[in-house]
Amino acid sequence: MKPRNGSGVLRLALPLRGLVHRFAFLFLVLAAIALMLLGRTDNVVVERVSAVVIDVFSPIMDVLSRPAASVNEAVLTIRELASLRDENARLKRENARLLVWQDAARKLAAQNAALHALLDYKPEPTTRYIAARVIGDSGGAFVRSVVVNAGTSQGVSKGQAAVTGQGLAGRVAQVGYRSARVLLITDINSRVPVLVESSRKRAILAGDNGLLPRLTFLPANASVKAGDRVVTSGHGGVFPPGLPIGRITVAEDGVVRVAPFNDLDSLEFLRLVDNPRVQPLASPRKLKPKQKAANR
Amino acid sequence: MSPSLSQRLDVLARNLIPAALGVALVVLSTIPFYLPGYGPIAPNLVLMAVFYWAVFRSEALSPVTVFFIGLLQDVLTGAPPGLNAAVLVLVRTFAASQNRVFRGKSFLVLWFGFVLVGVAAAFVIWLLSAIYHLTLIDPSPIVFQAALTITLFPFLVWGFSWTHQKLMAQS
Repeated sequence: MKPRNGSGVLRLALPLRGLVHRFAFLFLVLAAIALMLLGRTDNVVVERVSAVVIDVFSPIMDVLSRPAASVNEAVLTIRELASLRDENARLKRENARLLVWQDAARKLAAQNAALHALLDYKPEPTTRYIAARVIGDSGGAFVRSVVVNAGTSQGVSKGQAAVTGQGLAGRVAQVGYRSARVLLITDINSRVPVLVESSRKRAILAGDNGLLPRLTFLPANASVKAGDRVVTSGHGGVFPPGLPIGRITVAEDGVVRVAPFNDLDSLEFLRLVDNPRVQPLASPRKLKPKQKAANR
Repeated sequence: MSPSLSQRLDVLARNLIPAALGVALVVLSTIPFYLPGYGPIAPNLVLMAVFYWAVFRSEALSPVTVFFIGLLQDVLTGAPPGLNAAVLVLVRTFAASQNRVFRGKSFLVLWFGFVLVGVAAAFVIWLLSAIYHLTLIDPSPIVFQAALTITLFPFLVWGFSWTHQKLMAQS
């Protein structure tokens, strides 16, 4: 009797199990799609949970990224050794040229100060920098972002500009306690209000996941030429004005693109720039510059 | 004879290996290599792992586990949340249902199966990304990524099968 009973239960249970499995599959796929829809609407909960998860994994990512960074540094050192003589000659030439510029800048600064005094000009508030190391690459085919090892504990906040010595690299899109995600200017979601430096024409720099972001919303009568410098305009209050971004490249088929000054593939350190006009009041705790993140 | 506690713990630990390996590969794939052009075409290590374990040890890698591994991948890489979760659940379901086709056959059969899975996964990722961003995205990075993933598959499988034989043989 018993075996027959058991097989009866089995006969019932097996399709039921299959059904549950099938529904589990369906349920999971639907859950994934629901999450994508939620993420699309910039849901706060999704963002918070993501930030917490990145926070949890950031110490591991920090440790793992160090060997790669060291190897990269060693390779760079060897390359630099090989070209030391040429580099030295080039730097001497450049130094001579820059001394002339320095002279010009000093004169202009003095003149500027005199004119400011005449106008009773209010100086712009000084910007504050937070240094951070890149500990995570996106590794996704359709994402251009990096994870850095600084978060709210270091004073990082959403919307801050991420720059290097060369210029703008991106902006803080998501921030956790000790980590943050920086959306690069090449990402398909990136939009930066910019100015063409020579003509002062306003435009929007729009990423499309390619190496060269597009310059859109240029005024119809604006003539731009290859080599023009593009800087942040500061409109919209997200970025401080005047951060260099790149140069306009040859405008073929009517699409104007910008070659960034930064090598966005191999970012190692980023400085996150506070835009004081966005946050006129910060809590005293946040203002303490903790630069632990920048330990090299 | 019912298994003792230590034996059961042992079995549990062994069954956790595929999931742990999946999480480790997600974290590994976020390491920045500072190489020009590498990031967008970095091989999808997690896809290979999920395919392998779904074929050879599907009971040790449940759909729910795969879902969360994919979600972790989305969060750490900054992809739309749920994108890789959906793709990995699809891959796991397909591979687990077709495991008889691949088990005990030559490696070439497995590799061929992975070529199909890799191309299909790349297409789905591209399609979902395009829908998510509501624009036609240039598919070239995912094409290179899929090619690299398929090319590197044998090396990863060697590692997985070593893990499978050495660490999970008794369970």
